[in-house]
Amino acid sequence: MTIARFKTSEQVDFAIVGSGAAGGVMARELSRGGFSVVLFEQGPRLTPTEFEHDELKYWYLGGITNDPEKNPQTFRSDPTQKAQRTIVKPALWYARTVGGSSLHYTANNWRFHEVDFDERSRLGAIPGTGFEDWPIRYADLEPYYTKVEWEIGVSGLAGANPFDPPRTKPYPMPPLPTKSSGVLFERGARKLGLHPFPAPLAINSQPYRGRPACIHCGFCHGFACEVTAKASTLTTMIPEAEATGRCEVRSESYVVQVEMDKRGRATGVRYFDRDNREQRQRARAVILCANGAETPRLLLMSANEMFPHGLANSSGLVGKYLMFNYTGRASGVFEHELNEYKSVQTSRVVHDFYDSDPKRGFYGGGGIDARIGPQPMVWAQRIGEEGPSWGSEYKARLAEFSRTTGIYAHGTSLPVETNNVTLDPELKDAWGMPAIRVTYRDHPDDLANATFLRDRGAEILEAAGALRVTKAPVVPSTLAVHLLGTCRMGNDPAKSVIDRYHRSHDVPNLFLCDGSSLVTSGRGQPTMTIQALAFRAAEHIANFARRGEITTPPRSA
Amino acid sequence: MTNGEESGNRGEVSRRAFVRVALATLGGMCLAPDWITIAQAAHEAHSATAAAGDASFLTSAELADVDAMTAQIIPSDGTPGAREAGVAKFIDRALATFLSRMGAEFRTQLEAFRRAFAARHPNVASFSALPFDQQTEFLRTVERTPFFQTMRMLTVFGMFSTPSYGGNRNNVGWQLLGFEDRHIFQPPFGYYDRDYPGFSITGAPSA
Repeated sequence: MTIARFKTSEQVDFAIVGSGAAGGVMARELSRGGFSVVLFEQGPRLTPTEFEHDELKYWYLGGITNDPEKNPQTFRSDPTQKAQRTIVKPALWYARTVGGSSLHYTANNWRFHEVDFDERSRLGAIPGTGFEDWPIRYADLEPYYTKVEWEIGVSGLAGANPFDPPRTKPYPMPPLPTKSSGVLFERGARKLGLHPFPAPLAINSQPYRGRPACIHCGFCHGFACEVTAKASTLTTMIPEAEATGRCEVRSESYVVQVEMDKRGRATGVRYFDRDNREQRQRARAVILCANGAETPRLLLMSANEMFPHGLANSSGLVGKYLMFNYTGRASGVFEHELNEYKSVQTSRVVHDFYDSDPKRGFYGGGGIDARIGPQPMVWAQRIGEEGPSWGSEYKARLAEFSRTTGIYAHGTSLPVETNNVTLDPELKDAWGMPAIRVTYRDHPDDLANATFLRDRGAEILEAAGALRVTKAPVVPSTLAVHLLGTCRMGNDPAKSVIDRYHRSHDVPNLFLCDGSSLVTSGRGQPTMTIQALAFRAAEHIANFARRGEITTPPRSA
Repeated sequence: MTNGEESGNRGEVSRRAFVRVALATLGGMCLAPDWITIAQAAHEAHSATAAAGDASFLTSAELADVDAMTAQIIPSDGTPGAREAGVAKFIDRALATFLSRMGAEFRTQLEAFRRAFAARHPNVASFSALPFDQQTEFLRTVERTPFFQTMRMLTVFGMFSTPSYGGNRNNVGWQLLGFEDRHIFQPPFGYYDRDYPGFSITGAPSA
């Protein structure tokens, strides 16, 4: 196999920026479709043998993620405040390596439901928010959800969740083994009349497509899988893209600008290579898959005379409507050991509270799953926020680690215009580029919903026989890993950044596809949907290219 | 015995245990033996992390106060605590090296802590010189400050990060939790999944 290498002076068909969940799929689909592709990644390319089980490094020292020193950010909860630099961790946390956050996510892969796409029509407007229907429906995405499950690899049990939307195929692999927390969660949920089901995970329960089954090391959340049982794009889509001989992965290549011509067409990208030299790559079209923080940042950094407020920003909405997915948490201590640090994050979920119910008095819904959360060091840090945080009482709780589990309640976040990603006016990164400034305050309904879901989860733990249940306080968000909504999709160019095919309304050969495309937040676990969107977008983009409609779209589009 | 020998011996025992379990587990999964080597590498990667050496950020007086605070946060009450894990020295090295970005703010806050202590106890040389119970009493008055939150976080880092960073000596942090430093397992994982009959969609509530 000869891996493609392109000259920067050569005009390739597509420059794709970002090699994560969406970018990896996009590169594979377009290169398989016969197009030449350069896939750009800020971070290095690691081989799975280089991945480490080092909590301090991977969670706090910028191991495979954005580094608070080199890639600084600022945060504020109010647009009238001056944003402060985040020292301990970046406010928006994502992997910065080939494979992106598909490497370090927990691989919880449930599909969005039908209601996620047309909820505004069902419930009506929510004042003070940008709550909207999507321009596509669940049925439009269903074939691509199936593609994610089969071509990337998801373990699960079709038909186990009575609230699941319709599907055309079962899962390609059975669920992972049930953990002690899953057994207890199932017991508690059933006592309450709820409908627990095996967690669908993008982790192999058996060998699949050349990758081995999970070895249950327990280091999923925030870690990359050294045996490749977790389906990152690094070990699924990207090698398949390279095998076409038409895709070059250019790592340690930090794209800082989309370059434009005088007609308002993208001509390629400008980037810093691994030696910090400025380079340019020419391309017929540019696709940004850089995530919900970096995609809007790149558009804003690409402002020029023709687009003084940033590319693709005639709506003024680039970077706005940032959504996190609020996660409510509770923990429970049981009589016997569970050893939650072994195996995957979660093995049971309920969707009984997925839909919003006006009777609750607020908008929102979500899914609840059984899990302790992170590995020991980060867990020890967290429990101090929920109860005694030092002294003998704290130490006694630490000693309960092996008998502790909990619930995560993954909920909605409403799109609020003042929640956004902008360029910090002062702080620069290690390359002299403007730092990301995050402005975020949870909508009151997001917090009410998180409290509601957390309390339902706590009831499950109690029904399961927990000796003691502790509810984590629902406090305002200052950190996030789900970076959603910042370049939303829509039919109206005045109220959205991209159209239903992920083409930017303003620049015909500029496409955006990642968490930024989402119109509403879903109920957490967005990666599955981001990847389904990428499969769908790639199909349309390939068709546009074949029909000569990349730089000059048809009027009807 | 030096620290180096300790970690070498521990590493050897842990490596042998790892390979034994890996062979049993992966054999059952019909995997290529390459994965054993790979999984082992991830498990041991932290032993290759460069030790921070003797780098130091704190003065000996500051270090004594930090040490006393870590021993309050995770006390040595019958089982090893932060002191046995070497947490204070870990924090000292961390602020000089891999967490140097937190150094300036830490020093400012520590100085404020020491001033507040001197105002409260003008006749005691330093926080570390106070008897344990009186230290606890004083810390209750500052436990909500950003400084104490930082102290707590750094203590947790030093107690539970991989021993290659200099804390969690002899794995005492992991032993407190009951965390096995093995990184390859097979079901059953705990007590409750031992006799689990399997998922059934129509499953009746189990007892």
